[in-house]
Amino acid sequence: MEYLMLILSAPLVSGVIRKIKNDLRMRRGPGVFQPYYDLAKLFAKDEVVSENASWVFTITPFVVLASCVLALLFVPMPGAANPFVYIGDLLAIIFLLALGRFFLALAGLDTGSAFGGMGSSREMFISSLVEPVIFISIFAVCASPSFRFSSVVAGIALVLAVIAETSRIPVDNQETHLELTMIHEAMVLEYSGRSLALLELAAHIKQVVFFSILANCVFPVGILPVKILIIAAMIALVEVSVAKMRLFRAVDFLSFAIVLSVAALVISAVGL
Amino acid sequence: MEIMQLLLTGILFMTFVLAISKRLGAMIGAFRAQSLFLFFTTLYLAMKGRDIEIYIVAFLLLSVKVIAIPRLLSRMVKRIKAEGAAGLFVNPTLSIFIAMFLTYLSYLFTRRIMPFADRAQGEAVIISLAVTLIGLFIMVSRMKAISQIVGLLVMENGLFLVASSVSGGMPFFVEIAIFFDIFVCVIILGMFVYKINKVFTHIDVNKMRELKG
Amino acid sequence: MGYLINNIFRSSFDPLSVFFLAVIAVVSLPSAVYSVGYMKGRYSSGKITLGWALLILFAASMALVVTVKNAFSFIIVWELMSLVSYFLVIFDHEHERSIQAGTIYIVMTHIGTAFIITAILIIFGHAHSFDFAAMKNACLFMPSGTKNLVFVLFLAGFGTKAGIVPLHVWLPYAHPQAPSHISSIMSGVMIKTAIYALIRFAVMIVGVESTWWGEALLVVAAVSCLVGVIYALMEHDIKKLLAYHSVENIGIILLGVGASVLFIKLSMPLAAAFAMAAGLYHLINHAIFKALLFLCAGSVYSATGKRDMEKMGGLIKVMPWTAATFLVGSMAISALPPLNGFVSEWLTFQAFFMGVVSAPAGIKIFMGILAGVLALTSGLAAACFVKAFGITFLAMPRSQNAACAKESPFSMKLAMVFLAMLTVVFGLAAPLILKYLVRVSGSVLSVDTSAAGFTLNNLIIAPRGSGGIYLSPSLLALGLIVIIGMTVLAVYAVWGRRRLTTGKTWDCGYYPAICLDQGGIPPVSDRGRDKLDPRTEYTATAFSKPFRIAFDFFLLPYRKTEKIRESFYHVKSFKYELYTTPVFKEYIYQPLLRAVFKISDSLKRAQSGSIHLYIAYIFITMLALIIFMSRF
Repeated sequence: MEYLMLILSAPLVSGVIRKIKNDLRMRRGPGVFQPYYDLAKLFAKDEVVSENASWVFTITPFVVLASCVLALLFVPMPGAANPFVYIGDLLAIIFLLALGRFFLALAGLDTGSAFGGMGSSREMFISSLVEPVIFISIFAVCASPSFRFSSVVAGIALVLAVIAETSRIPVDNQETHLELTMIHEAMVLEYSGRSLALLELAAHIKQVVFFSILANCVFPVGILPVKILIIAAMIALVEVSVAKMRLFRAVDFLSFAIVLSVAALVISAVGL
Repeated sequence: MEIMQLLLTGILFMTFVLAISKRLGAMIGAFRAQSLFLFFTTLYLAMKGRDIEIYIVAFLLLSVKVIAIPRLLSRMVKRIKAEGAAGLFVNPTLSIFIAMFLTYLSYLFTRRIMPFADRAQGEAVIISLAVTLIGLFIMVSRMKAISQIVGLLVMENGLFLVASSVSGGMPFFVEIAIFFDIFVCVIILGMFVYKINKVFTHIDVNKMRELKG
Repeated sequence: MGYLINNIFRSSFDPLSVFFLAVIAVVSLPSAVYSVGYMKGRYSSGKITLGWALLILFAASMALVVTVKNAFSFIIVWELMSLVSYFLVIFDHEHERSIQAGTIYIVMTHIGTAFIITAILIIFGHAHSFDFAAMKNACLFMPSGTKNLVFVLFLAGFGTKAGIVPLHVWLPYAHPQAPSHISSIMSGVMIKTAIYALIRFAVMIVGVESTWWGEALLVVAAVSCLVGVIYALMEHDIKKLLAYHSVENIGIILLGVGASVLFIKLSMPLAAAFAMAAGLYHLINHAIFKALLFLCAGSVYSATGKRDMEKMGGLIKVMPWTAATFLVGSMAISALPPLNGFVSEWLTFQAFFMGVVSAPAGIKIFMGILAGVLALTSGLAAACFVKAFGITFLAMPRSQNAACAKESPFSMKLAMVFLAMLTVVFGLAAPLILKYLVRVSGSVLSVDTSAAGFTLNNLIIAPRGSGGIYLSPSLLALGLIVIIGMTVLAVYAVWGRRRLTTGKTWDCGYYPAICLDQGGIPPVSDRGRDKLDPRTEYTATAFSKPFRIAFDFFLLPYRKTEKIRESFYHVKSFKYELYTTPVFKEYIYQPLLRAVFKISDSLKRAQSGSIHLYIAYIFITMLALIIFMSRF
């Protein structure tokens, strides 16, 4: 039940982030429920599919959505008895999300559009650099029995990873539609109507997955919705206060995250 | 015992003759004589040991080394018109000295490795070792390709001698196999010699160093 | 003959050997079936017979390698395997490249064998027997310095065959050059026999001496992983790409084995058994999916006649079976759930996690970083296979050959589908297989694993007993299917049937050039085309560009541009070529080769070409020996 709530409120998180950003920028902007309206509109629309596309293009939205939903079910929730822990653990989440990403990248290439290819290439590039950060920080967190200094460092590394994974500034920009700067948006450029709606929903859920990992594993105090909102606010603050980086500056950004996660590991091994 | 010594001396003598013979025809003749002595040695051993296998080996030796191979070699010499000098690097006088030195060396060596062997066996080993070494020396010191074949056969004779005199012969099958081997080897080498002659119009292996890459 | 069989080729069928026999069978049989369709029409009938004979000999020699229990006969069958595979590499000997690849291979493999023989002779010096059991007993009393030396020799020797960095140079040349079903066996199984031998000799016979063995193995493995996958990303020859992935996957296997060796010395026997099982699991998984991928690549090659990915594209429409099976293989090698590669990589991560939780501090950090390396590797591998599958099979055909390709015959499809199904089975049946593999690794390490429940039941893996970490690939797959089904149903129920329009891919309003021509611009032959065409597609080179730039400190890319001019002002065409520097070849092997040539040049003087001189060498050696013997 808790999970169904999470899935249903996933677009809300995006809406909240957007709202906070707009408020900080002194704009009015749409309300927090705008993502739901967008989804409803997209679901009702017809689809246009490229003549070059194959069945990979068609099944991708479903695979991506399923992997994100299943990943959300695996997120450990303190307190609640969760039957899904027997199916997969924290590491399985990362593999599952990789499944969705793999198909999304293939779909980007499938239409023969150069933008899609570019998006796939960049997405795979960034995610391959993010994966070590997530793994090492999770190891660092799990290696220490309780919340300690190392958890904080690992948490910061994870935040950087989450920014990259949820296509936020400074790595990617969800709002841009200038082809040369898009990453995630470029991959889904050819999608429309219902498929696009599924993919958008999947992206919202994926964001919630990462936020709840961050919330539950790294900062195990407080109740989940509040924590997610705090993280959302934090991300929004980061988004309005920095500029998007060039793609190859993102390498520096992520290698900094890797160094940070290794530092967390060292600190936790030392026992702080 | 006297007969055995006589035969061994004959073998050694013929090896010396081989070492100094200048002409191919003479070499082949000397080899035939050496093999004949070897045949008599084996026959003597067979009579002493009353062993049917050694009889067979002896007659095989007669047919292959005394009759077949020398005939093959002289046919070869005639076919490629390589009559005449075998082409020595080392003159006969020096050759005989070297041969004697090698014999002395094998004498020293044998005394060293088997000091307790009885005299007859010891002599056989000394002589066979000397024959082997002189065979190798023949291969080194001659120019014409056929003399390399003869050198190889002389070495083989030496090895045969040491095997049959020390341990009463190698296992029968091995013996047969070696004869067959030698025979095939001579045929193949003969074909090579033909081929070399055809390509280079001579069989002087000394001139083949131009082939070097 | 009977003596030989009884004493030299006596086989052992302990669990490790049986496991490797299974690996050999699982890959060789489909490859043999595949070769029926692959060789037909490509080779003359005599050559097909030869191919079959070599194939059978190859499989038999590998089976002997993993079963003999005598070091002497091991070397014989090991060399037999190398020689047969050499002949298979130069099977297409009319290609200059095959001969070249074969030469590199045979030279490298013999260098490796030299190390192996040295190591075995050292042990023989202590044991005075070639029998494995006797050698094992003798090794108990061997000084530790000798053990270390033997280990290094074994690592170098078997590492050459396994293709660990920097001894991997032969692999990307030799594997792609063989016929595809042979590539699949070479990559799938042959390099694994080196892992077998390493476990058999270093772990079982010599016995782990100190912790640095495991650390060395892990470092070598991590470097192999990264180097293999980075080079694979830069590669556009599809079979070469797969060959580089073999380097990477051998690294992953060695990560498991190395962790096990380290745990043994840290007296964590259960963790050691688990890590070894993870390594072996990845070994058989890699055998399956790499064989599958090579067979698919071979199918593509025989359909298009090309191995360059930039010349393919759109094959998913003309070769649906090959495309689907290649997709399964790519997913498995990219460690995507619920396929087998995912399970074994997850297990390897769990093995590292055990180290991070309960090893001493230094090892903790080391293991954590290795987990990071493994994560980076699997991320890069996924990127690489997005490239391999996307560029080869998706979008528009990039050449005429690709456009009129035909699906492969039944025997080839059969082999590919069989292997693809195995990939799925080995993913879903993971708990059962893990149970078996833990028994194997227990017997290797002589650890009693009956108490260790690494599985909860036949559906769920639990590396830490009932301690909170679980994985159930079959339920996971079920979950995925259920969610997909529910999504489809829900969408249909609420919004009805899918309404579809087929259109062109968006092209930024890039109108046909004819319109521009009307504005007075003279038509250029390349222009009269209609909108997007294969030349505007994203290429493999472009796809790998971010990686090339990120890893430029290692790849050292450089480019060559050349202008072909008609006159000074009019550039007719423009040639642009991009290269990456093969670091290992440039900075290790070339200088080594130059040194060897220099030495052999100076030794050449002894080679006068005179037969007499050669016989004289023998003669003098013999005399020297005789004099030496009579002196002493």
